Amino acid sequence: MDRNGKVKTEAEQDPQPVKKQQVSNDDLYRRSTQYEMWSYTAESFEETRRKANESGRKAATEKFNEVFESIRQKSPEPFEKFKEELNPEKLLDLLTYEEETKYLHYYSRSIIQTCNHFKMPTQVRATAVSFFKKFYLVQSVSEYHPKNILYTCVFLAAKSENYFISIESFVKALVKVLTKDILDLEFIVLQSLKFTLMVHHPFRPLYGFFLDSQAVLLHPSPLMYDVNIDTLGSLYDKSKKWLNDYALLSDVAFLFTPPQIALAAMYDIDKRITDRYLKKVFLKEQKLEVIDEEPKESGFIKKEEPEEAEGVEPKEDKKDPQREQYETLVKTIRRCIRIAKQIPETTKEESKNIDKKCFFTLNPTRLIEKRVTKLSSPSPEIKQEAA
Amino acid sequence: MTTAPLKYSKSKKVGEGTYAVVYLGTQISSNRKIAIKEIKTGMFKDGLDMSAIREVKYLQELKHPNVIELVDVFSATNNLNLVLEFLPCDLEVLIKDTSVVFKSADIKSWLLMTLRGIHHCHRNFILHRDLKPNNLLLAPDGQLKIADFGLARSLGNANEDLTSNVVTRWYRAPELLFGAKHYTPAVDMWSVGIIFAELMLRTPYLPGKDDVDQLDVTFRALGTPTEQIWPNVSMLPQYNALRVYPPPSRQELRNRFSAATEKSLDLLISMTQLDPSRRCDLTQALLHEFFLESPRPTEPEDLPKKKEKRVKEEDDEMNKRFKV
Repeated sequence: MDRNGKVKTEAEQDPQPVKKQQVSNDDLYRRSTQYEMWSYTAESFEETRRKANESGRKAATEKFNEVFESIRQKSPEPFEKFKEELNPEKLLDLLTYEEETKYLHYYSRSIIQTCNHFKMPTQVRATAVSFFKKFYLVQSVSEYHPKNILYTCVFLAAKSENYFISIESFVKALVKVLTKDILDLEFIVLQSLKFTLMVHHPFRPLYGFFLDSQAVLLHPSPLMYDVNIDTLGSLYDKSKKWLNDYALLSDVAFLFTPPQIALAAMYDIDKRITDRYLKKVFLKEQKLEVIDEEPKESGFIKKEEPEEAEGVEPKEDKKDPQREQYETLVKTIRRCIRIAKQIPETTKEESKNIDKKCFFTLNPTRLIEKRVTKLSSPSPEIKQEAA
Repeated sequence: MTTAPLKYSKSKKVGEGTYAVVYLGTQISSNRKIAIKEIKTGMFKDGLDMSAIREVKYLQELKHPNVIELVDVFSATNNLNLVLEFLPCDLEVLIKDTSVVFKSADIKSWLLMTLRGIHHCHRNFILHRDLKPNNLLLAPDGQLKIADFGLARSLGNANEDLTSNVVTRWYRAPELLFGAKHYTPAVDMWSVGIIFAELMLRTPYLPGKDDVDQLDVTFRALGTPTEQIWPNVSMLPQYNALRVYPPPSRQELRNRFSAATEKSLDLLISMTQLDPSRRCDLTQALLHEFFLESPRPTEPEDLPKKKEKRVKEEDDEMNKRFKV
């Protein structure tokens, strides 16, 4: 986001400079754990999630079989009698990848509710959601029920973002959660986060763009006849809301950089103003740039290959690098908008169903016993017939 | 990140305290000496300790020759283990060791390395908030490394309140002494300025006995801030100017820092401006002419080192260093 914030090195003072490579803010971002460990392409992201779901299912199956065997050995009778009904394949009903995805989205929303309940700042809310999503890139709901993980993520995020809340007052405000439930999970969550706690959110770059767009579009004189400080202020406010509504709940944080997401918010709210701003930044200022060096990547990092890369022949006549950068950026932004809006909607009925499935996956004993009881006691119809 | 503690061997315990035990050890694959800080978990009412969380959070992000390296993090039997590079000495030890002579080129070298390390923190929007000679560790090759990020934090939003109860008293900037809830990286710059002075004086520059005395000691040395030199200072929560001291004259500073060059005094004055908005930032400090005038900063490997000591004393120092 920072076009001017380059750091001067001592070399600049040197009259005979050995042109030292300057460290840009992009370089710094590329060294962050967020970029190094938690950024994906769309494909690798889905693959990671499928793997987590897969290994969760595997672990759940093993656990189930263990429990099944031990119950059968204790009381083999019903298992003999209802061989057909009481076999593992019939009983076991694990969450599919799609169900798990929906389920997690449902719970991501409750993180926001929880944080709002505690009147926590945006930063904590956003970090808690990030922790939660990262946790389930490594683990699965088939092993860890999202309810307590969610609370643990909120508790840890609050600490990590300097908004400490004591465990007592935290648990007191929640329903059916014990201190132990959270403290026992805290370390597991930290471990699943691979001990990385720093999260860069798009809110800060958005504020930067808000300031910069004022400089670019309003000074020295307004560039657009109907754009003034109030217009930009309202664009900023709406973009903030957009980030809360879409960016936070979708998976864009794993696929795009925070400034890209911030620009996506602005672009989706007001394409005209945002596009003008980008054009002014990328296309009109090129004359000021020194031409003798390689075009630097400016404030935007391309994590993923641009979509149009395939099938496009490198043209002989050199395309204006500034324009190319602008076009790539706009394409990236548009894709970010599209992905941000792909949040699966789950009906109450559906999530209730998934919830039940999840409960029995995590508690195979209850599942088997329930089934045994149901089979062993005669059903009402049979009773009626006998009467 | 691993879960296998087998990659490291612990040789001896060098300290134990409320939230961590520190061991010396070896990274088996490389035979490299390391320090393992084992954070006790599950012992605290509120779960993982805040300092431990901060330390992990920030050291994971900061990789720089002048910031202590977090080699690895691993868990063993529900303990959090930070594997840090082994740094056998710190600047406080050297300052106190009167048998070691500091040349002005040595001071310049340590100051430069300190500034580079903090510059890296600040450009990553991280404030250290506890800079003092004791937290500036020295590697066997002479490199200075900033350590102890237990009080660090990210620079938040402009409207976010920060706690002013940070930084060890003697190195605490005046805006913090006045209870400012909004402050900037300038608080770290102040600490560096005071450390710079201490390196020249070989004794703490502003050793206040308590928080009230700290104000007095600070202003006696540098003058009492007024609205003229620091606009809006009187709006700060705990502002009081019981005793008004005049700002020191150039000659007074020359007398106090008798070996200092004019350029080094310029830099010191710039770092210890009472008004944080007038204090130089890290980039300005690094570009200061002081670093261009002769002598050149000493190469790290040629810097004075701690005299050989017996094992017992070394242990005591490790104990102190890890504040356990």
